[in-house]
Amino acid sequence: MIQKFLGAFIVALASALVLSGPVAATPAKEAPWLPEAAAYRLTLFLGNLEPLPWDDVGTAWAEPYRGSEFSVGALAWLDGNSDIGPAPLLDAITREDRQAVFAEATRLIARRIDEELDRAVMADDPARAQQAVRTARELYRSFADGIAAADPDASRRIGLAWLELNSSTGSAGVLGAGATPASRKTMEAAREVISLYLAENYLVDDFAPRRTLSALPETVVLSGRTIEVPPSLPPGSDIFDQDPLPRLVLNFEEQGIDETDLPLVAYGDMLFDSAQIFGNPAQGLGVACSTCHNRSDVNQRLFIPGASHQPGAIDVDGAFFNPIFNDRRDDPIDIPSLRGLRFTGPYGRDGRFASLRDFTRNVIVNEFGGDEPTPFMLDALLAYMLEFDFLPNSMLTPDGQLTEAAPEAAQRGEAIFNTPFAALGDRSCSSCHVPDTNFLDRQAHDIGSVALAYDGARTGAMDTPTLLGTVYTAPYFHDGSLPTLAAVVDWFDESKSLGLTGAERADLTAYLETVGAADEPYEAFDAENTAFRLAFSELTTFASTLDTLLPQRDAKHILLLTDTVAADLSADASTMSNLAARPEVYALAQRLAEVGDAVRTDDWVAAETSWTAFKSEADAIEERAF
Amino acid sequence: MAIHMNRRTMLALAAAGAVSLATPLAAQDTALRLAFIPQENPEKLLGDIEAISGWLASEIGVPVEGFVTIDHAAAVEALRNGDADISFMGALPFVLAEAEIGAVPLLSEVYRDAPSYTGRIFVRRDSGIGALADLRGRDIAFADPISESGYLYPLAEFVEARLIDGPGAAEAFFGRVFFAGGYQQAMQAMAEGLVDAAGASQYADLLLTPQQQAQVTWIAESPPIPSHVVIARPGLDAEVQDRFTNAMLRLNEPENRDKLRYLYGPDGYVRADPAAYDGVRDMARRYGLLE
Repeated sequence: MIQKFLGAFIVALASALVLSGPVAATPAKEAPWLPEAAAYRLTLFLGNLEPLPWDDVGTAWAEPYRGSEFSVGALAWLDGNSDIGPAPLLDAITREDRQAVFAEATRLIARRIDEELDRAVMADDPARAQQAVRTARELYRSFADGIAAADPDASRRIGLAWLELNSSTGSAGVLGAGATPASRKTMEAAREVISLYLAENYLVDDFAPRRTLSALPETVVLSGRTIEVPPSLPPGSDIFDQDPLPRLVLNFEEQGIDETDLPLVAYGDMLFDSAQIFGNPAQGLGVACSTCHNRSDVNQRLFIPGASHQPGAIDVDGAFFNPIFNDRRDDPIDIPSLRGLRFTGPYGRDGRFASLRDFTRNVIVNEFGGDEPTPFMLDALLAYMLEFDFLPNSMLTPDGQLTEAAPEAAQRGEAIFNTPFAALGDRSCSSCHVPDTNFLDRQAHDIGSVALAYDGARTGAMDTPTLLGTVYTAPYFHDGSLPTLAAVVDWFDESKSLGLTGAERADLTAYLETVGAADEPYEAFDAENTAFRLAFSELTTFASTLDTLLPQRDAKHILLLTDTVAADLSADASTMSNLAARPEVYALAQRLAEVGDAVRTDDWVAAETSWTAFKSEADAIEERAF
Repeated sequence: MAIHMNRRTMLALAAAGAVSLATPLAAQDTALRLAFIPQENPEKLLGDIEAISGWLASEIGVPVEGFVTIDHAAAVEALRNGDADISFMGALPFVLAEAEIGAVPLLSEVYRDAPSYTGRIFVRRDSGIGALADLRGRDIAFADPISESGYLYPLAEFVEARLIDGPGAAEAFFGRVFFAGGYQQAMQAMAEGLVDAAGASQYADLLLTPQQQAQVTWIAESPPIPSHVVIARPGLDAEVQDRFTNAMLRLNEPENRDKLRYLYGPDGYVRADPAAYDGVRDMARRYGLLE
């Protein structure tokens, strides 16, 4: 999955997008949330977690959300911009009364919208009226997805009211030129449409009990209809790709073998990027294996409030992704790298899975709520993941010795690394991080880095991690508690009383930084060799497995492929530098979708025809695919 | 976006503490004042202003202050009153400011290698609308009445196609004409089906979700429009103008390019060519905005 932020032009302008489904291979950059709207959305999200993280709910209102462009949190913002007091809400949070928090927070946002609408109607100049309308509309965003899902007619009616309202504010022009007067009557009529709906649905005295907190309108909830609101992530979430993009080292590719000649690997590559193999909410959010392990590496920026304690960490057995697998423990782990995967078993931070196949099935079915994968899917995923190689490092020999290219400090550090310490039971660092077996021993050890879960527990053993490539995978330890390799050295020195001098610690750090380095850790892009070109090449390679699957009439796996790749190709086109070629990519994606449509109707001739056309058109536009 | 401030919220910036490496200018013993117009979160803009002003102060050799105005009109008034020396604005507000107060263009923004862009008429792919004439009796959203790419130029395409007699006759051709408040709002209204078409910048579809982008297309495009411009008040010391302009042009250099994100995020700047705005002046006259 290759994504990048849209260009600077776009970044300069705010778009009111919500990180939500349907399947989104390329997440859209989200417009900033107003502080109180962000706090509300965070409250809805956190309020659906079990156990409910009450401290986080309090923080959501007290502090700016992660990545906020506002320097203050919702409470301070309200204090400076609103006459609406938050006391009832704060009281409900203190009482840890979930239903009351929902009711008070919902009414607060609805009142804020009305307050801004009042300001718009009362404003004495168009600029101030427009500013108030804009603010009211950004607050309305708190409820918009719930209304759109449950009451499309009302959503449309209100959407038109916002247009009408903004249009009727008039314009100040420039020094009088182009000035147009406001139309108060039209403004008030449009405002009425919005306020009436709020009064009936979000300003009610007693909300029906909510099993799931959402922005659904009260009248719809009372009707008893079952409404699916598309899953969304709360403000502060980040599921974008790494920047810079890590280099992916595939064993076959380094040997000059084309992935299109390895259909099982190519299909596994596609599955690794497919949200379709997971259940909701992951599927609806476009979360795939590559969301966390993009390019076989660690997505150090990944963050989901309530599921991550810091960037690059996630609790995959919490309440969000698959409630039935919720272990009710707040134990997010630092995402591990998958480089060199065939050498790094057993799997899981604590090495609980001896088999990569079992581990992979557990991720799909239990952690992310997907359907049982077919044997072919597991075979393909494993075939692909077992091709992940470590990053080449010219300062290291294949058997883990430093080369002459390594700095002197690292050479000194190597000696310390291999020195047995009495405090380590006469073992050295290299006893576990064995240099000639990729700096690991495939065993789990309790080194005292895990707080014991209960008295007498023997649960602190963690799988020895490789040291290869670690310069690019900070932070360190299973919980990401140590920010640098130097901090890791300090931790061992202090907790194990190794008695290293400052110079020795620096040398040992230099050794780790040398072992963990790489010649080319990141992909290099330029004006034409863009991230989109890489994505285009990947996606057309995935599609090449149709040459194998179509003759086999393997409808299930064909549809999984076409549904994934057609949507991804279309979505990734939004990242193209060559904007003029976008329509061609949309048309190409449509060709692939047509293969799927034909297979669904059992029309294999049409499927073959569309596939042939896809290949021809893909070749034709490849040069323009940047 | 709610930010309650006076018509002009002054931000005392890092200039006082800035260590200047440039030669101080005798002619400008007071701070150079920059007026910014919010395109998004004004609070973020304040942070951006602080970052860029500090850098400019060190490059130019005079203190630099920035402040946020509520709109173009307020920025132009600030230039006229002498409350601002420099401002950033669209081509249309600039030609109006030029006519009213003699504002001087210094720099033009560059996007995708050009100091110009276009306006387009966007529709949904599944709408069955393939030509401007198909929009007769249908609803359209524009960005703002004082917007060249988000109103004047896209609307002129209908005049060019002889579907509208003149700028004042739009209501007779369309069902409804809305001003949505910005490119994004106009495009979203079109993508969601609230209106049949949107008139906006050629890049405005990038403001939609990737899924929505695949669902929209455009059916008409205006001639090139000169990009947004950095202007000076009349009478600003020529040497200060030069130093400011030269400093801004250094933003094109690789080591300074990261600072462009503090200035509405263009790809760079070029010296403004006053003649490049003749088309906008003509357009403003046609719309009755200029005499």
